[in-house]
Amino acid sequence: MVQDHAEAFDQVLDHMPLTYPLHETLANGILEQGLDAGFDLALSWEAPVDHAFLAPVNTMLGTRAIPPLVPIFVNAFVAPQPRAHRCYAFGQHIARVVAASPWNVGIIATGGLSHFPELSLPRVGETDVAFDRRLIQCMESGDHGPLQKLTADELHKTGSHEFLNWMVLLGAVTPARATVRYFGELPRIDLAAVEWQLS
Amino acid sequence: MSRYEINSLLYRLKKDPEFRARFLADANAVLAGADLTDAERAAFVARDMRRINELGGYLHLVMSVPGLAAH
Repeated sequence: MVQDHAEAFDQVLDHMPLTYPLHETLANGILEQGLDAGFDLALSWEAPVDHAFLAPVNTMLGTRAIPPLVPIFVNAFVAPQPRAHRCYAFGQHIARVVAASPWNVGIIATGGLSHFPELSLPRVGETDVAFDRRLIQCMESGDHGPLQKLTADELHKTGSHEFLNWMVLLGAVTPARATVRYFGELPRIDLAAVEWQLS
Repeated sequence: MSRYEINSLLYRLKKDPEFRARFLADANAVLAGADLTDAERAAFVARDMRRINELGGYLHLVMSVPGLAAH
């Protein structure tokens, strides 16, 4: 999936295919039962999967066969976004569907920690290290209450829009505690690689 | 504010090379029918991505229009 004028971090995905196998039964379960449970979900038959999806697939699988995927899009950037507690609740819903299914399912969330505060061009380059360290500490201790209370305003001002993706995953893995494999305070973005072992 | 029009234009400029080429050749002509305020139109004509962002253009779009991207 060669992208025009791709950034370097997307050029590493150039060798990857444009389309992927979908786990339609699991996808439909999450969708249909989600609608029943009060989540206003929508589906697309042709949504393009870009670096948010392909970077982890590429990193984890390399040239090995790619298992069926269920890509889930969270509107992280365009107001009005879903709230943190709602994303968390949706993650709990995913966990319920998966638990009742016969499949082994891995759940991956992607997204940076703080970057691009207020989506303001002059502020590109700023991060909020204190905020990110607090999020990491909450995840390490399994203290998900404060994370569910994160407001849209906090996420916007710190540039933590993409943490909504993490919130979905946290709802799915709770009450597991995170193991931090990497935490980097980089010049323009804070990043972390975090893992949850589910018993 | 014409936030929808601003972002629609940015998206076309990013995704449609032919539209982008016409814009670069004659921005005023391309924007003639666009539903923009005078300030928004001036920002596009000046290719002032910082101003377009202030006026409601989404950051990821103003950072990713080939040849116009502001980093």
